Amino acid sequence: MEDILRVEGLSTRFFTSDAQVNAVESVSFDVRAGEILGIVGESGSGKSVTALSLIDLVDSPGEVTAGQLWLRNPPLAESYPEAAHEDGEFVDLRELPDRTRRSLRGPTFSTIFQDPMSSFNPSLTVGEQIAEAVEVQRRASATPRSTRSRTDGYGLGSYLLDGIVPGRAYTDDASHERAVELLEQVGIPDPDERAREYPHEFSGGMLQRAMIAQALAGEPDVLIADEPTTALDVTIQAQILELLREIQADRDMSVVLITHDLGVIARMCDRVAVMYAGEIVERGTLGDVFDDPVHPYTQGLIGSIPDLDDPRPRLQPIEGNVPSLRADEMGDRGYFADRCPKAMEACLDPQTERSCDDPEHAARCVLADDAYDPATALPDDYFEEGSDD
Amino acid sequence: MAPFDPRSLYEWLTDRVSPRTRRNLRSELDSSLLAKLGVGILIVVLVSAVFAPLIAPWNPTAQTLDDKQQPPLGFSRAETQVSQEMVDGEVQIVEETEYIDATVAHPLGTDALGQDMLSRVIYGARTSLLVGVLGTVLAMAIGVPIGLISGYYKGRVDDALMRIADVSLAFPSLVLAIALVGLFGQATVNVPDPFVTSGLSEFLRGLVSLPGGLSYPPGMPETFALPGTVILVVGIVNWVWFARVARGEALGVSEEEYVTASKALGGSNRYVIRRHILPNSVTPILVLATIQIAAIILLESSLSFLGFSGANLSWGFDIAAGREYQTTAWWIAAMPGLAIVITVIGVNLVGDWLRDALDPSIEGEGGGV
Repeated sequence: MEDILRVEGLSTRFFTSDAQVNAVESVSFDVRAGEILGIVGESGSGKSVTALSLIDLVDSPGEVTAGQLWLRNPPLAESYPEAAHEDGEFVDLRELPDRTRRSLRGPTFSTIFQDPMSSFNPSLTVGEQIAEAVEVQRRASATPRSTRSRTDGYGLGSYLLDGIVPGRAYTDDASHERAVELLEQVGIPDPDERAREYPHEFSGGMLQRAMIAQALAGEPDVLIADEPTTALDVTIQAQILELLREIQADRDMSVVLITHDLGVIARMCDRVAVMYAGEIVERGTLGDVFDDPVHPYTQGLIGSIPDLDDPRPRLQPIEGNVPSLRADEMGDRGYFADRCPKAMEACLDPQTERSCDDPEHAARCVLADDAYDPATALPDDYFEEGSDD
Repeated sequence: MAPFDPRSLYEWLTDRVSPRTRRNLRSELDSSLLAKLGVGILIVVLVSAVFAPLIAPWNPTAQTLDDKQQPPLGFSRAETQVSQEMVDGEVQIVEETEYIDATVAHPLGTDALGQDMLSRVIYGARTSLLVGVLGTVLAMAIGVPIGLISGYYKGRVDDALMRIADVSLAFPSLVLAIALVGLFGQATVNVPDPFVTSGLSEFLRGLVSLPGGLSYPPGMPETFALPGTVILVVGIVNWVWFARVARGEALGVSEEEYVTASKALGGSNRYVIRRHILPNSVTPILVLATIQIAAIILLESSLSFLGFSGANLSWGFDIAAGREYQTTAWWIAAMPGLAIVITVIGVNLVGDWLRDALDPSIEGEGGGV
């Protein structure tokens, strides 16, 4: 399978008035056509910021400070030679003008957010909002993407007229029909009726389906699902995941699935990236990461899953807490070293990514290609306060 | 084209307002006496303003000096005439006091030129409401987009726009208004009155017969002076309030997840502002608009009182004219003053009603008081 998106050394930082926060620190991964890539990590590990960085929606004071986001898109590479990769197939999203990047939202990247309840405008019907997503794409494809703003032709005058003139609206009937069709595809019963209802009349699961329908409006190549099931209860979660899988298979889309739930990853993904403190600490195929984890953090995560077949009396927690991401408190060492049961002297240097035997499988850990050497192991209290002097 | 059906217009209108909002408006109106009072006052003022030529008993500009300074019903005015007479070879000063009674023909009395106060008050409602509503619309048209842009883009755009707003706020609005009127002059636009030019008012008034053999005096002013400069000025003076409120709303709404969702689906900034920010900021702006109408009516009256408006059928203008007669004919100033007070209270009560009905954060009985 070929890559559709290659992320190289992506760093996103937040510049607040009293500190710099390194939310994402030189993250590299690739997304292949028709696969589901899982990004898993604790809260605050930078999963969501990574996703937002892809679609250029990191809000001030955040900023993508480094890295290349290579998107396979030969026509764009041709129109923007300065942003194109030397192979002529890929373009660097960060080098594209804002307007062009925005035009990729919808037909290339589409996003599903965590909380469906707050992701719909309460003052418009669900059908209208999906129809508008369709309409935005329809208008965009009618005008050349690089030259015109996508919602041109919709000025303040048009908005006021829409409010005053009966029957006049931003969306036309074809878009509404398409919206109903999309609602039907995501398994909403009685879609014609439901399209006319407001978000508060939907249940959480139904709204999440509606949001998937909205995301599909632009026929995206890559669907970014940012914790799509976190706000839902467990039975609904299963249904939504099933739906995502079906849709992915039907349309041969790529899905970037962001979650903190290893169970979701295990059931859905082809490949996995594990994030810790803004870095991808380990990535590889589902089998590599789950059955043969290299990084002690990944091992710890997997060790903390309750297992019915092996009822140990206690789960194995990872000791300690997630480090602060403030630049002045992070230091340079491998971020996980102070919690790592196998920390060695070599871990005190910043870690780069190393491949294991399998080229697909990489970890940001000394153990990827060196064996654990108890002789250089750090004493247990090495990182404790005051122990240095 | 399909024939016009008023029901479809009504349906379309109610379609614009969600059932829940309609329910809230109704229940709030049912439960609040003040809201009913406000709506009642506003309807009376509105009807007076629109149908002034049909309602006003006299031509408000017709001067009958014989009837000048007639008191309103229930009052009488004493006019003392001092004359010198020769009595028994001596000059005596004779004071003759004449009592002038109110007449039914002029229920609110007449002013110093014998113009009917009731008719003038009714016509004055036109100026006040027109300036109030058009001025507010203009202030909204300037302030709301500025506020939305400011609150949505934040950062330097926000800083720049809000500093301009601060400067506008720092200026006393009346002084600014006077300066602007001085700058633009008193451009008034004479709008033909459709009821008069079509002959409708004459015809309808001819149909009514009054008791006691009185008949409606014919003739109504054919044009109506719209104080264009004043509308412009109050719009420019009051945009800041709308900008402030719209900015505050936009700041909040732009943090909503559906705004991010809309951007993630390809919506441009302008599109997001229009489809998501504006509709969700509209309630406080509407409530502010009612309060601003009242404030602008007062500002218009002040300007007219000071003689800056150019309108000669205005409550403020009449108060100014009646000021000299305060001691002998108080009603010349008091009647339009009362009209201003009642109208402003009415508009404010309607504003309270809208706020209580539309703002979900203070839903429920009396906001927990």
